[in-house]
Amino acid sequence: MPQLVTVKVNRPDHRPIRVWVPVLPVVLVLFPVVVLVVLAAIVACVVFRIGVVRALGSAWRVISALPGAHFDIEQGRTAVLVAIR
Amino acid sequence: MTEQRKDILDMLAAGKITAEEAEQLIAALERDQAPATASHDSRPKGKVKYLRVVVDATDNGEPSRVNVRVPLQLLRAGVRLAALVPPQALVKANASLSDSGVPIDLTQLKPEQLEALVEHLDEVTVEVDSPDATVRVFCE
Repeated sequence: MPQLVTVKVNRPDHRPIRVWVPVLPVVLVLFPVVVLVVLAAIVACVVFRIGVVRALGSAWRVISALPGAHFDIEQGRTAVLVAIR
Repeated sequence: MTEQRKDILDMLAAGKITAEEAEQLIAALERDQAPATASHDSRPKGKVKYLRVVVDATDNGEPSRVNVRVPLQLLRAGVRLAALVPPQALVKANASLSDSGVPIDLTQLKPEQLEALVEHLDEVTVEVDSPDATVRVFCE
């Protein structure tokens, strides 16, 4: 599971923004929202006749595989970096 | 058949060397050729973990760069998730793709085919060079 998401934004004539997001504390704070999202996903699975356990398992695999992902986009003096660890 | 191997077989046929000598010469030839063949592929043979997409371009005179690293595990998980897409959604996606000029039938894509594709991605390197942009897709 991802532990830390790093976001860096560089814009011309602005101070660079660097944000480190610790995933677990954020998920704990947003726990009620997470529960609602999971419930909505379960309802969607039932409506579209998709195996709930299989769907949740696949979604968990995707989340677990996120660490190591790295997106770095630069144009001129503007740059956005998102790194998941 | 290489030129040297042919020469050895010619000498054997002409009776200049014995079968045992020919065998020794061919064995020596194969020993020499093995490292040379291996050196053609300079990529590490270890298990690759990431798919990299690197784009260097120039937009309106400004250099731009896209550097994306995606874990292959994420691609595999995405393939499994995509296998859950209901058929009616695939039909709509097919229609949209066809309208956009991409006539691909997604219902014909089987998860095992996609998994096999991801498994063999480590052998894929795509390089596109144009005057304005360079695109490289590879695994590391």
